[in-house]
Parts: sequence; C-alpha cells; structure tokens
Amino acid sequence: MIEAPAGTAWYVYGVAEDDPALERLDAVELIRQGNLVAIVREVPLEEYDEAVLPERLNDREWLERNARAHEDVLQGAAAVTAVVPLRFGTIYRSPEHVVEMLGERAGEFAENLQRVRGHVELGVKAWVDLSALEQTLAAGDQPVAGGGAGAAYLQQRAQQQERSRELSDRLTELAEEAHRRLSAVAAADVVNRPQPRELTGRSEAMLLNGAYLVPEGDDRLRNEVEQLAAEHAGLGVEYELTGPWPPHNFTGEQS
Amino acid sequence: MSVVERRRSPLLRDEVTLVELVDRVLNKGVVVTGDITLSVADVDLVYVGLRLLLASAATLEEQREGK
Repeated sequence: MIEAPAGTAWYVYGVAEDDPALERLDAVELIRQGNLVAIVREVPLEEYDEAVLPERLNDREWLERNARAHEDVLQGAAAVTAVVPLRFGTIYRSPEHVVEMLGERAGEFAENLQRVRGHVELGVKAWVDLSALEQTLAAGDQPVAGGGAGAAYLQQRAQQQERSRELSDRLTELAEEAHRRLSAVAAADVVNRPQPRELTGRSEAMLLNGAYLVPEGDDRLRNEVEQLAAEHAGLGVEYELTGPWPPHNFTGEQS
Repeated sequence: MSVVERRRSPLLRDEVTLVELVDRVLNKGVVVTGDITLSVADVDLVYVGLRLLLASAATLEEQREGK
C-alpha cells in the first residue's frame, strides 16, 4: 500500500517582537528573521486544503475550535511582547516561505509593532432596547387636545412621525457621542459595522461596535464606558466592554 | 451600572461569543498572502453559515418551547 507523504503546513498566527519569554508558549514554534518572530504551528496540510476550507469554515465545531486556538495563541503572545495578529488561516508550505514573508514585510510589521507596543484593544458595544427608548420619548408628547376624533387622530399621527424622526436622530447622536468620548481616551479607534440581530441573537439593536487601542493598565476608557452607561441607562441603552484583546483591529492599512 | 463586561480570562472564555471571535479573528488582522489564505468569499461563507446555524438553533428552541 502506497501512502502519500503527510503534507505539513505552517500556520502563522502572528508576528511579534522577539522576546525570550515567547519560548514558553505552548504548542507553537518560532520562526525568526531579524528581530521579528513568526509564531507558527505545524498543521496537516489537508486540514486547510483550499478545496475543503469553505466546508470546514461552516462546520461550527471546527470553526470554534480553530478560531479559539488562533485567539489563545495570540493572547499568550500578547501577554509577553508586542504582537501583530495575522488573519485566521494564513498558511505556508514551508518555513522558508515564512522567513521570506517576514523579510518582505519587515518594515510594515515594525511600524505596526511600534503602534501597538504597550497597548491593548478593548471592544465597546452599545445596545439599545428600541421599545424602551420609544416609550421614554413618547412620555414627552403633549396630551391630545379636544377638537373631535379626527383632529385627535391627526395630532397623534403627527406626534408619532415626529417621534420616529426624533428616535433615529437621537440614536445617531448617542452613537456619535459615545464614540467621540471613547476615542478621546484612546490612542486609536475603529468603528465597525454593527452586527445584525440575526448574528447577535439579541432583541436589542447594536448601536455602536467600536474597537479602541488603549495603554495597558489605563482605566480611562473603562471609566468613560461606565459614565456613558450611567448617563444613557434611562434611555434603554446598555454598554458592553470586551477585552483586552490582541490588537486585531489595529494592524495598519486594511481593506 | 449597566456595563456588561466580558473579559477574556480563561475561566470566562465561553463568554466571548463565537460571533465576536469570528468578527476579530477572521475579519481583522494583517492580511499576508500565504501559500493558502482565506478569501473574502470564504469569510462571507462563514457568516452565511453562522446565520444558518443561529437561525436553526432559534427554530429548535421555538419548537421546544412550543411543545
């Protein structure tokens, strides 16, 4: 029986500034070039074969296991040195190709590492319970005056229309205000598209999906989120803080 | 205070939803052209897949609740 040689590939999680502490990371290898280190793992090539990859990505169990592994490796590396995350599923067929890549992109990696050194990424989401906010705004309506059922109906309708305009203006203002205040205490910021409800599985709508790069140990952003939450609680707006994350959102020019 | 904090400590790792993770790990990070890399189409497929998974999970729950 003839067996094809097991194809091995090198999965690259991220590129870090060299640091002896990286040697302590579990189950990864380091490929060095200059003062850059690629954090890699040997994987069976068949696992990431282009022909099966789309199918694998839609296998929830596979996706979750590998996405978490990717994140765990980056988190481990970020705990000891500056690291630039690479996108999930970056695979090379030989360590030499990884070395070439490090050499070709050395300048860009150095710039990115400079930007994220000593910083962490925090995620902030604002959620709004639309029905609660509508009620709050409706409480400000004028009581419907006399003048017959027809006039009352028209007045009510005008108020409703006014309210829905007010609602959408208010939501835009809230998101802008929150992001402005959070950006003011961050070294860098990115606003991402709010995730649709069918993905979040929540009844509230996502108002803000922001990522902020902040100095490690700096509590200003956290405090600002708490302040915003206190101010906006009456409007049915809730804030969610995630992280610290490796700086996925702050790796330079992106599509 | 209505700030929900989801910290990424190992103990609370399940708190970080798969959607959140996918949003960062598959959608962000430096793109270098490896010998094999994910294409945008692949990532879109993931979202389609997650939507279907979540939609089917919701349907299952509704069915359970309906019983």
